[in-house]
Amino acid sequence: MIPLVGLLAGIVIGIVLEPSIPQVLQPYLPIAIVAAMDALFGAFRAYLEGIFTDRVFIVSFISNVLIASAIVYVGDQIGVGSQLATGVVVVLGIRIFTNAAAIRRALFHA
Amino acid sequence: MDLLNQIIRQPIDPDYALSAAAGSHPPRGRWQLGVLAMIIGALFAVAALQTTRAAPVQQSERSELISRIQTAEHEQDQLRGRVTSLTEEIATLRAAALGDDDAARGVESEINTLDPVVGNAAVSGPGVVIVVDDSPSAADDARDRVLDIDLQVLTNGLWEAGAEAISINGHRLSNLTAIRSAGDAITVDYRSLTRPYRVEAIGDVRTLQARLVESSAGAWWNDLAQNRRMRYEISDVKQLDLAADPGIVLRHAGRAAS
Repeated sequence: MIPLVGLLAGIVIGIVLEPSIPQVLQPYLPIAIVAAMDALFGAFRAYLEGIFTDRVFIVSFISNVLIASAIVYVGDQIGVGSQLATGVVVVLGIRIFTNAAAIRRALFHA
Repeated sequence: MDLLNQIIRQPIDPDYALSAAAGSHPPRGRWQLGVLAMIIGALFAVAALQTTRAAPVQQSERSELISRIQTAEHEQDQLRGRVTSLTEEIATLRAAALGDDDAARGVESEINTLDPVVGNAAVSGPGVVIVVDDSPSAADDARDRVLDIDLQVLTNGLWEAGAEAISINGHRLSNLTAIRSAGDAITVDYRSLTRPYRVEAIGDVRTLQARLVESSAGAWWNDLAQNRRMRYEISDVKQLDLAADPGIVLRHAGRAAS
C-alpha cells in the first residue's frame, strides 16, 4: 500500500513541481527509468512469491540505476554510447518481460 | 546464448531468495520503500513531461526551417527574374552602342547566331518532348529511380542527335549546366526538380527522334524502360518555347580591336 501511494505521490510531485534535470544527466534518464522498471517488476514478482525484502529491493534498485547509467556514460566517453544503451535496454527488457509473464501467471493462473 | 538463457532463467535478484532463506524479515524500513517509490514516480513523470514538451519544439523548428527554405527559393526566383530583365536591358543597350555601320551589323548577326546556341536567348520551334519518371516500384528499390546520370545520358544523346536547345522541367541547359543529385532530388543548375521529368528539345523533327533512338542514349533508356519499367515517352511537338538560361554571366571581356 505504502509503495503504491508513494508512486502516485511521486508522479503528482513530478508533474506539479517539474524539477529540471541537469543537462548532463538528461541522456541517462530513460536508461534509469528502464532500470527502475526492471527493479519494480522484479520486486513485485518476489512479493507474489512471498520472498520480498525491502532491503534487497532498495539496494537492487539503486545499484541497477547506477550501473545502467554508468555503462551508458562509459559508452558515451568511448563513442559507443547508443550501442551500449541498446544493450542495456535489451537485457533489462528481457528481464521485464520474463517477470511480467511470471506475475501474470501468478495473478491470473493463466 | 548462454548469457540470454541466464537472463531469462534468473530474472529476479537471487538476493531475494537468499534473504528469505535467512529468515530475516524485519518489518521496519517501510518509509524508505515509500520514498523510493516516490522517486520512481517522479522519474516517470519528469521523463514523460520532458518528452512531450520537446515534441512541439522540434516540430516548430522543422516548420521554421521549411519556411526559410521556401523564402530563399522565392528570393532566388525573384533574382532570376531580375537577371532576365537586366539581360534584356543589356541587349538593348548593346544594340544602341553598336551603332549602325557595317562592322556593327556583322557583330550583331554573330551575336544573333550564337545567343540561341549557347542558351542565352529564349528560343521557340518544333522539337520533341520526352517524359521520364521513376518506375512504380521505386519505393522498394532505389535502382528503379531516375538518377542524375540517366538524365545526363539522355541530354547528351539529344545533343548528339542534333538538338539545338534543351530544357528540363523548364530549366534551359547550356554548356555550363550541371545535372546532379542532391539528397533525394535531381538538381539542374542547383535547382531541385520534381518528378516527372519533362525534357524538351528543339531540333529537326524529321531526324531528332530517330537519331536519338539509334544513339547509345536511346539504348540506355530502352533498357531502363524495359528492365526497370521506368516511364519513357517520346512525342513530337510542333511548337516549343524554351526560356533563356538565367545562369549565363559575362566572365571575360576585352576591348574590341579597332
